[in-house]
Amino acid sequence: MTLLIGALIIGLILSLLALGVLVSFRVFSMPDITTDGSITLGAAITASLLVKGVNPLLATALGALGGATAGAVTGILHTQFKINALLAGILVMTALYSVNLHVMGRSNVPLMQTRTLASHGERLGESLFQGPTVNLLGWTVPSGDAALPGLALLFVVGCALVMYAFFRTQLGTAMRATGDNAQMIRALGSNVERNIILGLALANGLVALSGALLAQYQGFADAQMGIGMVVWGLASVIIGEALTGARSLGLTLAGTIIGSVLFRLLVAIALRWGLNPNDLKLITALFVFAALVLPGLIHRLKPRTVVPA
Amino acid sequence: MLALSGIRKTFHPGTVNEVRALQGVDLAIDDGSFVVVLGMNGSGKSTLLNAVAGSFLVDEGTIELAGRTVTRWPEHRRARLIGRVFQNPFSGTAPNMSIAENFALASRRGFPRGLGWALSPKLMKPLRERIASLKMGLEDRLDNVIGSLSGGQRQALTLLMATWLRPALLLLDEHTAALDPKSADQVITLSEEVIRRDRLTTLMVTHSMQQAVSLGDRIVMMHRGRILHDIRGAEKQRLRPEDLLDRFEEVRRREQLDEGAARMLNDLYI
Repeated sequence: MTLLIGALIIGLILSLLALGVLVSFRVFSMPDITTDGSITLGAAITASLLVKGVNPLLATALGALGGATAGAVTGILHTQFKINALLAGILVMTALYSVNLHVMGRSNVPLMQTRTLASHGERLGESLFQGPTVNLLGWTVPSGDAALPGLALLFVVGCALVMYAFFRTQLGTAMRATGDNAQMIRALGSNVERNIILGLALANGLVALSGALLAQYQGFADAQMGIGMVVWGLASVIIGEALTGARSLGLTLAGTIIGSVLFRLLVAIALRWGLNPNDLKLITALFVFAALVLPGLIHRLKPRTVVPA
Repeated sequence: MLALSGIRKTFHPGTVNEVRALQGVDLAIDDGSFVVVLGMNGSGKSTLLNAVAGSFLVDEGTIELAGRTVTRWPEHRRARLIGRVFQNPFSGTAPNMSIAENFALASRRGFPRGLGWALSPKLMKPLRERIASLKMGLEDRLDNVIGSLSGGQRQALTLLMATWLRPALLLLDEHTAALDPKSADQVITLSEEVIRRDRLTTLMVTHSMQQAVSLGDRIVMMHRGRILHDIRGAEKQRLRPEDLLDRFEEVRRREQLDEGAARMLNDLYI
């Protein structure tokens, strides 16, 4: 049960990363590898500030802001210096590795004795359920573990609602159009370059927010924690699309969150059954590969049918 | 209204791919006039339109539009003054967004986009009425994505979007060339109607002689990056497609002669 709750919480926290990847990959059609660096940056900034005794809310917000800055740098490299989007992301990700080590001062910052959003949440749970443990459908679980998934879900759904609202504003609609048809939105007077910079800042802000929360939940920030996370995000987005059909903005956002949680749960179960943790990234990559290739392959194998006009 | 003077543009200068697309174009267009730009492939007519729209910055010359010098303005800034329909029906609309969302984008052309709702009720009512007037049955499909529509429908919608806020200048870049004849007729009729109703200053590129003769009040014929003929007023009214063909034939003959003469000189002296 604790294993499942842990997977559920991490799945929810990482769904913020998946939402960030959704923005860069689906809205702007740009696989943005900055993600691997900015999730660590968010964790590093937040962890270092927490150790210094900064308020957890403020530390988390500053972590997210750091990621947004990294995303904006990628956007500037791509739009102002005309560097290929993929390469711009690789450059920033590589640079961030050093930045993260500088921010943390070492390769790992433990948060065991530090007051974090997670420890606040656990305390809130204890006062809510009036005791250190609570009986949940027959299982006795720590109150903190029972409260955190709810809190995480509330927070993630709140973020998704804000994103949903934003992408329906004039600015948000123009940003979606930038990814859909840049020539058209430029002819309608929107600054495409600025939209891309803003979009990548938003995407990496979400990713870093996810990193900041992840560090607080798992109790440490680590220089290596970002490796392969963009592929993780892609997997979540793809699962979400398969589940909801990606027909509308709201469904896509909801699907991405569900996809992230589901993927994390599947991984937790697979690990439990004895999957070698070393194979995890390989399997994630293979999964994304299959998800990208199979639809086209199936389409090609199907007999051609004439679609009436 | 629009004044071009001494416009020059060379693509890939100093390489084997060098193209001198515009070689000194001067053109002044009055407010409310409808100018048709005619020319063969590679004559520079589309390049001229793109220079006005700001798709690239010109090497030399100045562009004035609605009393402002826009020569150095980036494309998205000029969009405040310019409505535009492209040759490719896929270029003017965002395929994965709904009809309503596309118009919401067009309704802010040239204005700052903030955090107000894109689909405001203030937009939806006139939008439904205007789209109903197309008689394409699209007014009940405002939430459908534009990618599901035909090229003709998309081009008609692009035209409405480009003129939703009255542009100081309307640019039509062979906007019916990629359509089937029936859709092309519909779009041309709609263009005429919109241009006449709003008294829009229009610059239209075409290579259809028939369109050039029947539309507009002035024809500018381009050849090799220069303006060759400028036909207006009574002469434009009298013009028949055969007259235009004659003029093109004349150009072609002169070129052949020039080439032949060049070869002869080459043979004799080198």
